[in-house]
Amino acid sequence: MTGITRRSFLGRSSAGIAATATLPALTAGPQEKAAAQQSGPAPRTRIELTVNGESHALEVEDRWTLVEVLRDHLELTGTRVGCDRGECGACTVLLDGKNIYACSYLAVWADGKAVETVEGLARNGVLDPLQQAFIEHDAPQCGFCTSGQLMSAKALLNEGAEVTEQSVREALVGNICRCSNFLNYQAAVLAASRGA
Amino acid sequence: MADPMNVVGRPTPRLDALERVTGQARYSPDIRLPGMLYARILRSPHPHALIRAIDFAAALELDGVVAVLTHENCDIEWASGDRANPRMLFNNPVRYYGDAVAAVAATDRHTAEAAAQLIAVDYDTLPFVLDAEEALEPGAVPVQPGGNLAPPFGALAGGGAAVPGPAVYERGDVEAGLAESDIVIEDHYVSKHHNNAQMEPRTAVAQWESGKLTVWTPTQGITNCRDDIAEAFGLPYEQVRVICEYMGGGFGNKNQCQDTDLIAAELARRTERPVKLELTRKEDFLSIHGRWPTSQYYRVGAKRDGTLHAIELTGYSGMGPHIKSSGDIAGIDFYQCPNVRKTVHTVHTNVTTSANYRAPSYPQGVFGIASVLDAICHEIDMDPVEFHLRNATRQYRDATPYTSYGLIDCIEQGAEAFDWSGRRRPAAVDAGPIRRGTGMAIGAFTARLGLSNAMLRLDDAGTLWLHAGVTDIGTGAKTTLAMIAAEAMEMDLDRVEVVWGDTDRSPYSVGESGSRTTSHTGFAIVEAAEDLKRQLDERGPPGPGEELVAEASPNPTLDGEQRYSFAAHFVELEVDTELGGVHLTKYVAAHDSGRIVNPLTATSQVKGGVIQGIGMALHEELLYDRNTGIPVNPGYYGARIATHLDTVPIDVVFVDTEDAHGPWGAKSIGESTIIPVVGAIANAIFNATGRRIKELPIGRDRVIGAMS
Ligand code: FES
Ligand code: FES
Repeated sequence: MTGITRRSFLGRSSAGIAATATLPALTAGPQEKAAAQQSGPAPRTRIELTVNGESHALEVEDRWTLVEVLRDHLELTGTRVGCDRGECGACTVLLDGKNIYACSYLAVWADGKAVETVEGLARNGVLDPLQQAFIEHDAPQCGFCTSGQLMSAKALLNEGAEVTEQSVREALVGNICRCSNFLNYQAAVLAASRGA
Repeated sequence: MADPMNVVGRPTPRLDALERVTGQARYSPDIRLPGMLYARILRSPHPHALIRAIDFAAALELDGVVAVLTHENCDIEWASGDRANPRMLFNNPVRYYGDAVAAVAATDRHTAEAAAQLIAVDYDTLPFVLDAEEALEPGAVPVQPGGNLAPPFGALAGGGAAVPGPAVYERGDVEAGLAESDIVIEDHYVSKHHNNAQMEPRTAVAQWESGKLTVWTPTQGITNCRDDIAEAFGLPYEQVRVICEYMGGGFGNKNQCQDTDLIAAELARRTERPVKLELTRKEDFLSIHGRWPTSQYYRVGAKRDGTLHAIELTGYSGMGPHIKSSGDIAGIDFYQCPNVRKTVHTVHTNVTTSANYRAPSYPQGVFGIASVLDAICHEIDMDPVEFHLRNATRQYRDATPYTSYGLIDCIEQGAEAFDWSGRRRPAAVDAGPIRRGTGMAIGAFTARLGLSNAMLRLDDAGTLWLHAGVTDIGTGAKTTLAMIAAEAMEMDLDRVEVVWGDTDRSPYSVGESGSRTTSHTGFAIVEAAEDLKRQLDERGPPGPGEELVAEASPNPTLDGEQRYSFAAHFVELEVDTELGGVHLTKYVAAHDSGRIVNPLTATSQVKGGVIQGIGMALHEELLYDRNTGIPVNPGYYGARIATHLDTVPIDVVFVDTEDAHGPWGAKSIGESTIIPVVGAIANAIFNATGRRIKELPIGRDRVIGAMS
């Protein structure tokens, strides 16, 4: 396989990373804020959490899920919602290093915890080896499940145990890919685990 | 061997792979506009009911609720939602569980959701019918005023008054052919609703600015979507802009515009604010569409030497209340046969609507015909590969030559890669509980030509800007088209930038459906490049601040020929006869898609199509409670969508063919990949067990039932 030669990742991604770092904690528009005040009873709680190494203090509605906070309030839209009910894995993030479905995890539960999302994988303009392997193995087709596949794969590699074809399949079983590019995802994770 | 080329034919990672692996790719659900409202839809809890009254006063009283639409205050027609009957955004009566009843716009999604629950609807429930054949029985509940039998789709597409009736195709004399046959097999096959289940749920964001409507929506065809929206609102095309930068899959259920686009636009118009309408996964399963379920009755005759002599198919396709696509049952055209009669009824039922899903009419039809032909092979003791070499189509419907033809190569090269002669054994030879079997099936899918458009701009920095009206639904179309442009201009791929996914910035495209993008838009690019090169020769490279621009809108046609892609698939599997499980152990997919522009993404297309087919064959089904008419498993888990554990290593073989049309002979790939899968698996299960399972999906229950 050829490596990615076309674009310099550094040039393109630095803007994205800088923007992430300067986001306001809560970005609801004035109308939304006014509406939330009027509607009164939706209870709110202040939480502090770390996202991709950066700490955020937020007031969240108790009914908000973690993925809602990430996508709608921290503008980290790289985490996708495929089902919003714990069936597809598109919303997978790491919570203190372990993969969870962010659609099925309330934001208030994340108080005091560290969250990693797809946006945190590349560091200093260098892709994570998993991301590089995903590109080389043509893992994303439509790409909608990709962030989730990456984060579950990351959790697997974080465990540090020996990675085999079967352990990859089992680690990713909660991440559906309807483009059904499963074989390429599996090959990419195996390659990344071997430093290939 | 086709001539080597500089760019085309080399495995090339996607141009936008980086955006896809870093989360930067922006999909429709990622769009967030200032002041945006969130919308939710209230749906019918009954399969068939008359709405007597709707009271949404309580919903409007909720803080943050801005607007409510119902059939009483909104009469916009969703033309592409039904070709046979008028279909409004909100219908009365409601005709399936999940039919849209009302839409609410509010300041946030939780409020919209809560408000939808506050809408009181008074229903008069009506009797319902779920099954296509039952719907045609005398006295059946009429789903549509015109009756339950729809007109043939071809008649609808032609416009004019279409009369209800089956679609009939005939050649030769099927009754005489059956009488002349040495062996006749008569049998019945049943396939089920199979949901596209694309990963990205439907979301539409609409905004009006100075009378111009912009809609961000996941669509496979931005031009069609724009045209449909413009028609619904009575606007000139220029007043509507459709944007789809990235799209999370569709497989046929994001063609044209959806009701969600129109509902979001109407709510935005009334509230004078941007509106984002989001569907839940359950709504997506029920309200968009999946592959139509079929009931197929065959009578097939052959001579003792294995020559196919007569095929009769009478079929019924349950389309739900609305007719969005053909309802055909395809597959018999893959065979030479002098006597053929096919009669297919498309029928209205009170279940979720069915329409296009990857090779819409094929995998279910191939399940039937490939199974029947396999049964003939078994009866006359003929190897299926030999049978296919003898009977596979040589000319389209035995009359029209193909522009290029690699089907026999697919069968031969696929069989060799699979080691068919080494692996194939007689049926049911294993004695233990785990029994191994092999099977094969073939496929063909059109690689038609047609109108498309492309624009090329060469700027003074030497960058080639390719404007193409595609969205790249996951096929890799952006990369494929950029490669074609680079090849045609004899440039490096690095110097090509694609402008896509926005009707204001990219020209007409037929849309990414029907496996057409490479052939149609690719060919337009080659033509535009010819013009650009001519300009370059005449005028030299553009000076500072200058550009050279070329545009082409070719509409190539075929004279007395048909253009098709072909495939032959081979599978080996193990059946657990005690627990009913089926485990695939080897898969070979041989394809003739003409020249392969990007082998990397083309191979991914094949693997993806095969695994979707495995899910259809073994697991997937939308189940209905027959007493209530309510679907019981709409969702990934319930409908048993394939996962990482359902995979098998897949060897992909591309055979070489030379085709005089399209961009350097590239044909089509996306849909042919799923066509033979179900048939090949069903045949391998017979070879393993000696039992033929005639109803999909071939789950554990059916395997155990067949063994007992
Ligand atoms: S979106 Fe969370 S599991 Fe599907
Ligand atoms: S790449 Fe499309 S769902 Fe996985």
